[in-house]
Amino acid sequence: MRITRSLRRHGVIVTAAVLTVALVATGCTKKSDQSAAGGQSVSPAKVKIAYVPGGPHPYFQPWKTAMNQAKTDFGLGGVTFNETSGWDQTKQNSVLQSLAAQGYNAFGVFGVSPDNINSTFQQLESKKLMVASLGSCPAGNTDSAAFCLATDVETAAYKAAQTAIQAMGGSGNLVHLTGNKTDSNTQRRIAGVKRAVSESGGKVKLLQTVTDIDVDLQSAQKAVADLLGAKGKQINGIVNTAYNPAVASAAAVKKSGLPIKVVAIDDDPTILGGIKDGSVTATVVQNPVGQAYIGGYALMKLEGGCTMNTPGVIVDSGSFVVTKPNVATYDAQRQAQTKQLKADFDSKYLSCK
Amino acid sequence: MSAPTQESDAMVTTADPGVGTDAPRGLPFWANPRFGLLVVIVVLVIVFTSLRSSFLNTSLTLVPMQQDVSVFLVVGLAQLCVLSLGHMNLAVPRMAAISAFAMGWCYQHLSVPLWLGLLIGLVVGAAVGALAGWIITATGVNSFIVTLALDFALVGLVSLLYSHVGDGVAFPVHPAGMTALRNDTFSDYCAGNICGPPVPLIVPIALVAALLVAVLFRLARVGREMLMTGSNLRAARLSGIPTSRRIIQAHALSGALAALAGFLLAVNSGAFSADIGNSFLLPSFLGPVLGGTLLSGGAVSILGTVLGAALTEVIRTGLNLLNFSVQDLNIYIGLVLLVALSLDRVRHVLAERRGTRA
Repeated sequence: MRITRSLRRHGVIVTAAVLTVALVATGCTKKSDQSAAGGQSVSPAKVKIAYVPGGPHPYFQPWKTAMNQAKTDFGLGGVTFNETSGWDQTKQNSVLQSLAAQGYNAFGVFGVSPDNINSTFQQLESKKLMVASLGSCPAGNTDSAAFCLATDVETAAYKAAQTAIQAMGGSGNLVHLTGNKTDSNTQRRIAGVKRAVSESGGKVKLLQTVTDIDVDLQSAQKAVADLLGAKGKQINGIVNTAYNPAVASAAAVKKSGLPIKVVAIDDDPTILGGIKDGSVTATVVQNPVGQAYIGGYALMKLEGGCTMNTPGVIVDSGSFVVTKPNVATYDAQRQAQTKQLKADFDSKYLSCK
Repeated sequence: MSAPTQESDAMVTTADPGVGTDAPRGLPFWANPRFGLLVVIVVLVIVFTSLRSSFLNTSLTLVPMQQDVSVFLVVGLAQLCVLSLGHMNLAVPRMAAISAFAMGWCYQHLSVPLWLGLLIGLVVGAAVGALAGWIITATGVNSFIVTLALDFALVGLVSLLYSHVGDGVAFPVHPAGMTALRNDTFSDYCAGNICGPPVPLIVPIALVAALLVAVLFRLARVGREMLMTGSNLRAARLSGIPTSRRIIQAHALSGALAALAGFLLAVNSGAFSADIGNSFLLPSFLGPVLGGTLLSGGAVSILGTVLGAALTEVIRTGLNLLNFSVQDLNIYIGLVLLVALSLDRVRHVLAERRGTRA
């Protein structure tokens, strides 16, 4: 009896809660939506930019110096670098909200999940905050940020695979080592490599695509050791489109003495050393400095009242193939690209009164 | 020694928000572990607010915190259901992922309404959970092993499904109502001049789930039999309780709640994607265990799970606002949790001594 009475009482509570929710959701009128970001003019000294990568990764370390340079050069009110998102979209959302609560009004974000990040951008913009997608663009054809300044990952992977195929003499077996399979950027990289392979007209076979080995160097080293142990003699080329596999495969191929052509990514000292001593054929370097520096410049301009000619435009920050002949001079090429990006934002992408 | 105390404690605290009178007889009201958690939360809120006034910023701190707590509360409940048996469900993350796939696929390809997709997801989650429960009862293998193996199998399956049946790695579809559920709070809805509180729309969903689980374990015979199964399997079986059925039911409920958590996270983050659930494992244990649910089974605390989830979110948000670096953040989260739990234990021991003397 007591249980029945209690059940009835609790049933009433549950029903009341459900009814309240239903009433509030259906019986009330909704306030009009807040206006979107933009329109207001803020002086550079009042612009505070937060750079928020998806998590700790060597790729983002140049952002720190670039953002400080941007602060000095453009007279920004403040900059900060926060990598505490730990490759978790939920945590990144909290980090962004916390930074907004601390007074940061512009954000350069490398979204953890390209599939979800547009919602995060929309939420920030609904609070009149300016957002740029840096280093990685949202998945699909829509970019809800003011702009996306990132490496065109498919083109970069295509260039890397082309370089590897060239080094292999135009035929043989190629292996692709890359990152998280559930990241749409990885899917783009896979598509880029496949495009280059298909252009060989069947002379090059994509022996294997190994994914999910960019978590840390140890897992990459293990995967590469397993790969070389099982198929080392069949492989003619390895194309890397993620940082940890690149470092691991450069070292493992050098150690094994196998005649495999390795194309790496980014300019880690190990990889540059490999290019100098000939164990790494080439590397495709990106432009993280340009992303942070020019991203900061454009955010400052947008806060100052400029508007994007095409909101959500995707701008390629550039990728460069580095081989032995240009290993000492590629940075000049990258700096020239950064200068060009600034000019492009002024002339093509931004509209300032 | 502490198990019976915890059990009686849990039995009475599951549904009632008024915990003050719920401490075991002979112990002062502050002996209730839930009270200790509440005090720690209040103290931390005061400390963080005094250091950063933006901690009380409604739209940038309080609303996002409530959204996150809602997700982690349901994740905690998913684990709590099997903890009641003394089992573990290491497949909570992937049960959420596979259900999110089912929901996303239905929204994308069948254009079902939001509620129907959720219902389908809950059924899928419950079915996977029931499968885990059935394997455990049929084989007698430890739940840790079974759910660990299931998690591995589902990792591969989810990835395969997204690449072959799905559209890459996510369903970018937004069924009607999903955006409102994500962005709106009750303060956006007004009757005349009176608007609701700044509570996100997903909070009541999590609270109703908590209330239903509380009613199950506190009042329903099935729930009590699950707790008895967890407390002593042999005794429960000898008492005529269909223990195998209860084990399967608890795991099915765990799967359904994991699916609900996956739905809430997808709503919060804006897409039904393959990485839903990746971050669920640790929080699934953290909330219930902080709240006083026993890993050995036989005692659960829903209110404690609510407070446990809230405590972890308060700590994370506070430390975020204080701009801790990534390494410091993890160290301090660990330290604050350790101190919080130690203080709670000291308080409990003191209370027990006092109670014994009385």
